[in-house]
Amino acid sequence: MKIKVKSWTSVAWWKWIANDENCGICRMAFENCCPDCSFAGDDCPLVWGHCSHVFHMHCICKWLNSQLNQQLCPMCRQTWRFNDR
Amino acid sequence: MEGSWNKLKFCFPIISHKLEYNETNREKLDELCKELISLNVLDEITQMLCLEIQNTLLKQIVPEFWKPFFENNLESQSNNKAKQKCEFQIFRNAITQLFRRYQLLNRIMVQVKYLESKTGKKLIYNFDEVFKSSLLSQLPDSFTNIVHAFYYVSFKVFINTKADNDDDEEFMEEREECLGCEMLQLKCQCQELVNAFGEINLCLTKMGLLDRISGYTLTHLIQNEIYNHIQKTCKGNFDTQHLKNLEKWLDTIVLEWLTRIYNNGSSKLDPTNTKIRESINCFQMKLKYFLYEKYANSIIDQFFNIIIEFPESQPAIDDLKLCMEKLDLRAHLVETLKTSLKTRLLHQGVDTCDIITGYVATIKTMRHLEKSGILLQTCTEPVKEYLRKCRQDTVRCVVTSLIEETPSDLAEELARSEAIKAEENERNKDEMNNWQEWSPDPVDAITDSEKHSRNRKSDIISMIVDIYGSKELFVNEYRNLLAERLLINLDFNPEKEIRNLELLKLRFGENLLHSCEVMLRDISDSKRINAHILESETFTSTAEKDEPSVSALIVSSQFWPTFKKETMELPDEMNKIFERYKKSYEEYKGNRTLCWSALNGKVNIEIEINDKKLDLTVTPAQATIIWHFQNQKEWQLDSLSTVINMPPSVLRRRIGFWQLQGLIRETKENLFVLCDEKQQDCEMETQVNVVLDEEETMVSANDQREEELQVFWSYILGMLTNLDSMPLERIHQMLKLFASQGPGFEFSQDELKSFLQRKVREHKLVYALGVYQLPKN
Repeated sequence: MKIKVKSWTSVAWWKWIANDENCGICRMAFENCCPDCSFAGDDCPLVWGHCSHVFHMHCICKWLNSQLNQQLCPMCRQTWRFNDR
Repeated sequence: MEGSWNKLKFCFPIISHKLEYNETNREKLDELCKELISLNVLDEITQMLCLEIQNTLLKQIVPEFWKPFFENNLESQSNNKAKQKCEFQIFRNAITQLFRRYQLLNRIMVQVKYLESKTGKKLIYNFDEVFKSSLLSQLPDSFTNIVHAFYYVSFKVFINTKADNDDDEEFMEEREECLGCEMLQLKCQCQELVNAFGEINLCLTKMGLLDRISGYTLTHLIQNEIYNHIQKTCKGNFDTQHLKNLEKWLDTIVLEWLTRIYNNGSSKLDPTNTKIRESINCFQMKLKYFLYEKYANSIIDQFFNIIIEFPESQPAIDDLKLCMEKLDLRAHLVETLKTSLKTRLLHQGVDTCDIITGYVATIKTMRHLEKSGILLQTCTEPVKEYLRKCRQDTVRCVVTSLIEETPSDLAEELARSEAIKAEENERNKDEMNNWQEWSPDPVDAITDSEKHSRNRKSDIISMIVDIYGSKELFVNEYRNLLAERLLINLDFNPEKEIRNLELLKLRFGENLLHSCEVMLRDISDSKRINAHILESETFTSTAEKDEPSVSALIVSSQFWPTFKKETMELPDEMNKIFERYKKSYEEYKGNRTLCWSALNGKVNIEIEINDKKLDLTVTPAQATIIWHFQNQKEWQLDSLSTVINMPPSVLRRRIGFWQLQGLIRETKENLFVLCDEKQQDCEMETQVNVVLDEEETMVSANDQREEELQVFWSYILGMLTNLDSMPLERIHQMLKLFASQGPGFEFSQDELKSFLQRKVREHKLVYALGVYQLPKN
């Protein structure tokens, strides 16, 4: 017997490579979008900080904009710096 | 003295018990009078004559009149028609004779009255009254039968003469028998019967007996005929309006016949004769009501069939509407419809889909009958309850028919969504403008909540959704169905789904259907990503020759229904390719990776065996199984199960597919062997084209709900630890208070109850004296 696979369609779900599952600000899963968006993934990306914390980009930007003096990570209170991985 | 007696006997033979009348002139009577006065017996003699007449009536005339009626009842004739004919004659003879005697007595009476006038006193009674009362005092029970037969025969003759004029003559000629008198055409007696009939009625009218003798029977007969006529013309025939024709039939044929009876045989009414006109009018009113009632009832009795045939049966509904304006039939309609729905629709033998179709048809029909929807609401309450309680698959059926390829009522209704919205707005406006035409609900309307009155005017889909009272349930089911369809049919045409989704959004709101939108977007995104990856450096550079073409559906897991957790090991060759695919994806998207759901998807394979080629589309699991048989022809169930990483029981079920194909045999228990030798007993068909064996790839809505409720278990545990014991209501309330932020919180007390009961069965709770407690250990 010889088997030839002509085509194989599979199903997969995508996942962020991150050290956490939920965004610390909106408490939504990373694979979900922030409350202001309706599509996840490309439309609502994640950002990494130097402190290794990860948030929805929209969430952390909103947070940082609301801070008057210092730009701190809401989780560890270190100065927030984007980590361009 | 002697002379006077003889004179008296000559003038009044009745005094010597002879039923005779001698023509006597005034002089003779005057002479007799004088003699009687001189003898001073005029008063007595007059009274005696009266008594004698009365006696003759009671003892002779009346019994003789009734005699044939008694006799006829005894003999039973087998032939019904002949019997009726015979009864017709009996009645005719009896009346003719009675009439002759009535006239005779009347003449005698005139003379007696003359004597009375000489006395100057009031001595005698009203003859007509006595005549009537003595006649009726001996009324036999069975006399109505004969009267009925008499009128029945004549009615048939009459109808036939009427029909003769309307019908085709050719058609009439074909019959040997006359329809009216049921004799051979040549010997038709119709005319004779008509004449006799007119004559008898005239006699009866003159005696003042028409109403007393025939009235009751006549009404009865006509009502019967009306009923028969309705049954004959309208039964099972709903696609034309009958009411006009029926009324015409009543006005022309029946009333003309009646007029003939009351009006001495002529159908033209004398305009000056108000008495007859009044009684005919009265009859007409009564009969018209009767007609309406019977017709409406016949429609109501067949209402279920009308519903099934709607909209073809619309004319029948229009008729019923007209009848309902005149008569109060609501209660009857509701009762009948409820019963017929119960007996014909709501039982085990009917598919849920058919029940829903029936329900939709009922909604449409009742809408047509009554705009306000109050009747509809009352009638369909049992249907809703039945679907809610006994049919688990209601939602699925509804959703399926909403989005089915083949046109269905609901799909059409969905497509009309926008039009309905506009209509509703229009109606609301109208309502405000025509507030004067507002009328209160009838007393039988269900008024228990505001919700009902709101729903009354909503459209069919809302009414269906109303069965459960929650949109979420429907949307969830739709989502699951959509996911299933998308996963099974991977290269599908998204346009129709998108259109469906847009329509559903109009109906249920954007928010609830958001995840479905994401799902559809995932499909189109996947196609794009696929194309990109298959052309990317990373993927193509390491590709081997003759590699199978792969593709992937990449989903946003948060928006799809939960996938089953079950998994399996792909063949190494495939694994390598998909690993590469994953790498390319990671490169392409950055910071994102893929998790394969190996069981989902589909595989197109070509199997070459015994010089034959099989082209099959199978599930990944089936492909993996047969793949392993390529290099090793015998497998123990257990060892294959370890290699593929699949529970043996599930594996066995999946091997079943290949057994059906005749490629694998179970030679010993749990030993599966490939049949690639040329064995006679594994004949295969070359052109087997099996489409995917459909397996449930998604967690069902029920299981999902379970998971949602599980979230509350920790709350409940906390509550019971702190408060020791609580009744169901209180737990429900507390959860509402504290846990309402969670997703899918909307659950009813019943749902909570069944959840708690299951916990009791699992010994995680104790239920006693109406309260729940944690078990003490």
